[in-house]
Amino acid sequence: MAFLQIENVSKSFGSVEAVKDFNLNIEKGELVSFLGPSGCGKTTTLRMVAGFEMPTAGRIIMNGEDITNMPPNKRDVGMVFQSYALFPNMTVADNIGFGLKVMKKSAEEIKQRVKEMLTLINMPEYGDRYPYQLSGGQQQRVALARALALRPDVLLLDEPLSALDAKIRVSLRAEIRAIQQKLGITAIYVTHDQEEALSLSDRVVVMNSGCIEQVGSPFEIYNFPKTAFVANFVGTLNTATVEVEDPANNLLRMENLILKSAENLKEKKKGEQVLMSIRPERLSFASEQKKDNVLDCTIENITFLGSVVRIQVKLGNALFYMDTFNNPFLELPRLGDKTQVTCSKEAVLVLNP
Amino acid sequence: MKKINLWAWIILLIGVIYFFLPLIATLEFSMRMIKDRYTFEAYRVAFTDPKFFLNFGYSVLWALLTIFFSTILVVPTAYWVHWKLPKARPFVEFVTLMPFVVPAVVLTFGLIRLYGQPPIVLLGSPIPLIAGYIVLSLPYMFRAVDTGLRAIDVRTLTEAALSLGANWFTILTQVIFPNLRTAILSGVFLTFAIVMGEFTFASLLAWPAFGPYMEEIGSMRAYTPQALSVVSFLLTWASIGLLQWIGRGRGQEQVAGAH
Repeated sequence: MAFLQIENVSKSFGSVEAVKDFNLNIEKGELVSFLGPSGCGKTTTLRMVAGFEMPTAGRIIMNGEDITNMPPNKRDVGMVFQSYALFPNMTVADNIGFGLKVMKKSAEEIKQRVKEMLTLINMPEYGDRYPYQLSGGQQQRVALARALALRPDVLLLDEPLSALDAKIRVSLRAEIRAIQQKLGITAIYVTHDQEEALSLSDRVVVMNSGCIEQVGSPFEIYNFPKTAFVANFVGTLNTATVEVEDPANNLLRMENLILKSAENLKEKKKGEQVLMSIRPERLSFASEQKKDNVLDCTIENITFLGSVVRIQVKLGNALFYMDTFNNPFLELPRLGDKTQVTCSKEAVLVLNP
Repeated sequence: MKKINLWAWIILLIGVIYFFLPLIATLEFSMRMIKDRYTFEAYRVAFTDPKFFLNFGYSVLWALLTIFFSTILVVPTAYWVHWKLPKARPFVEFVTLMPFVVPAVVLTFGLIRLYGQPPIVLLGSPIPLIAGYIVLSLPYMFRAVDTGLRAIDVRTLTEAALSLGANWFTILTQVIFPNLRTAILSGVFLTFAIVMGEFTFASLLAWPAFGPYMEEIGSMRAYTPQALSVVSFLLTWASIGLLQWIGRGRGQEQVAGAH
């Protein structure tokens, strides 16, 4: 049995259904991200696990116990908020020791655990400071230590890095992942940032309009998106509506271009319209490597993105992006050049609508 | 620009004259008890009257009781409204403004009619007086606490405390009250100042207090009531001064909780 089971959970606010029939099992020590746009129900689901919202239907089981109707202060759950939520009237040490004090632990034990937590977040000298004397990143590390001080069964993180600047976000997310793995704690991480979700999760749950679109490892979610929404939300994607040319041989037609796919198209009919997608980095210049698909194109635009150069090519009437590593010794094509791009048949995905 | 500055100074001067002239006149008059000399004789007379300390003491007692009950009524209510019923806030705010709409004399007669006869007879006790004072202080107390609550992220702080196992009592006493210290103290000092100078409730409900005492002295003596007026003003200013002093430099804590 999974450590945390979310079974058929739904939540409505009046006539608005925020979460619809949500099912998910999370194993002990796993870090699962809920990824989706604003209003997709990811935070509501997290708040139901925390006990701040009651499900309209379904149940939540943690460590074999049904906690659906248990008040939040009785659940063994730690939470980190986007706005840090440190108690402004307390020092860093008092903030971290708050939960332990509530649990009536001895002063010696509290002192010891606070010290341990301060070391864990690399802030051993900051115990006497007040929250307003810390930077945003430091405040969030203290909030993490406070949530972990009680050694909860599950750690919930509600967009914990959204209020921080880009550089701190990257370093802190690595720190969060390292601490989570070190302690082996089960965690749910809510974010709308795909890079964050992909970089630190064991599994990613992509949500849209209150429903789960896809659950999978970051590798699966990125490389094998099951729906058009997932494919579009996670990473940059080229999509085009194409016709099935030869179902037996998995061939697709995009105007006068024929593309070979690794997808099984045997159940499709010839002439049936499907949504085809190719990631920009799966396309390359035909001169570099011969693959399953070699397509004539025109160079429409070139954008320099640092380590990557994004080239817009016209395939038939469709505009596709192609990402190539920035190699200073490689001569880039010029706008209007007619050339060929290539991709493997595995790169040509057929998506569910 | 110079013209605007000049007008600003003129308006400020008119305001200062309008506010301070009656006070200076009262102070000056209170010091003329002995002919052709400025003395503090009227103050000496006032402070040596045993009834002064009795009435003043009662007023302090009423003020402290009002502050205590008002705080335990208003803070949890305002907190609950912010946390669970934000849509009810305009209604609660409207209710707290009632003392500005309903005159104190009407409120007092309402209390006398309601609690002066069975089934609930409370007129022999100071309960209607304290209840009346609580109503009277509601606009100040509620607004002060409400402003304090707006400055902190009540919802997230409460949820953070709940996720750490705290119950409602712990949240209120260890998280909400300490972060509202300045706001609550603002309400406390305003309430103190109002109750110390209040006349209608104490007079009509027949309880000793500083307000009715001043009125009584005023009908019998010329200089002592003026001295008491000055004392009353000083008391109010001391409350406001304390409020300013305590509120100074406390902003940082609340700002930190606000983002």
